[in-house]
Amino acid sequence: MGVRRSAASLSVAELTDLRDAFTALYGISDDRGYAFLAGVHGLPLPQYCKHGSILFLPWHRAYLYFMERAMIDALRRSRDDPAAAVSLPWWDWSSAAAHADGGGLPPGWLAPADGGANALASGPMTLGDADLEQVRTNLPGAVTDGADPVTVRDPDTPDQLPKATTVNRALSATSFTEFSQIVEGIHNGVHGWVGGAMSAVPIAAYDPIFWSHHAMIDRLWYLWQLSPQGADPSAALLDTALPPWPMTVRQTLSVPNLGYDYAAQVVG
Amino acid sequence: MVASSTARTGAGGQTLVVDLAYPPDPGRAPFTRADLVVTGVDHSGTSYEVRLYLDNPGADIDTPRDPEAGYAGRYTVFGHGGCYGDEGHCEVPEAAGDPTDVRPVHQLTPLDTFVTVTDALRRVLDRDGRLSTVTMVPVSLTPRRSDRSPAPELLEFADLSLHTYLAATDLDVPTPG
Repeated sequence: MGVRRSAASLSVAELTDLRDAFTALYGISDDRGYAFLAGVHGLPLPQYCKHGSILFLPWHRAYLYFMERAMIDALRRSRDDPAAAVSLPWWDWSSAAAHADGGGLPPGWLAPADGGANALASGPMTLGDADLEQVRTNLPGAVTDGADPVTVRDPDTPDQLPKATTVNRALSATSFTEFSQIVEGIHNGVHGWVGGAMSAVPIAAYDPIFWSHHAMIDRLWYLWQLSPQGADPSAALLDTALPPWPMTVRQTLSVPNLGYDYAAQVVG
Repeated sequence: MVASSTARTGAGGQTLVVDLAYPPDPGRAPFTRADLVVTGVDHSGTSYEVRLYLDNPGADIDTPRDPEAGYAGRYTVFGHGGCYGDEGHCEVPEAAGDPTDVRPVHQLTPLDTFVTVTDALRRVLDRDGRLSTVTMVPVSLTPRRSDRSPAPELLEFADLSLHTYLAATDLDVPTPG
């Protein structure tokens, strides 16, 4: 599919491609579109995501794989260009830029100061009436009021994001189980840091930043896999299915086999 | 491993003070890493974090997260924000022990987590010679930051225990804030 890059290093053209892909996905109401893909994580039921589970990393790798495929398809269709390409960037919330004053969320994902549109600043909350009413009751502040609601954020201060030392601690884990538990804990904290829709499992994936947050998590798994202590999950887990994705744990283990890669460094 | 046997509510009824004596009899073994392991953690409601303080039974939401206060780290629970199904949908079934039951694990099955507290434990041992309590300070992570508050109602778990290890591991680093 391509090379996933840091959200901080996207060119103007790459950011445009990404926004266009999300916009195209928002406009598809069937099972190729954003509402379906975001809904797989939580609402509407059934909820498929895996949390507090040894399947956390494989399930979300499969999730991002199918999301990225859908983004490419949607972008190509919207532009009538079979060669159009786009990748999911990762948001490195442990970077110096994210921790600096005025840091936090990557600039490309913020609402423009002039009130203009940005498909990455919020996502359409396309739930049915009953689910939406319950979300508004249970999770006030997660979505906007009124018709055509969209996701809301209420981020904490940049210094509360996970630090590089925290990431390094995860990368030092000596078993898959330990790595998975540490990384999932870090992941949980970032969901809470972003606030709004991102703070709750059932609706988190409706926020566009969800995907770049999870690309960071997936990248950390990839980096750990490459490290001397990287190891596969237990053999008993390898043939476990990851519904609704037609994949097993084993089929998620090789990033190159899935057709994407993570940029090590981007210059220029 | 040292497991807790008793606990009591702490400051303002908003925290939980767990008696956790270390070293236990007959004495302290050398360790290179120490984890506080929490099992059976509920994640059905609002997201929340639990701040952990060693030997500071008066800790509360306003206590600084720094070593002098006994702060040892925190864990965050990504919550489901309530039940969205019909009656019974969010009740976690008992394990049937039926080998033909290949249904996925229930989404709300309680989870296990841990916080590495090596340096914080060493500080307490250097200062007091032993650890007596772990104070758990639950804070809600609601969508709106202005709504976040002490959340004792979210703090549900089965067990808290201290695990010490003697192993060469890079995990023995200061617990980040």
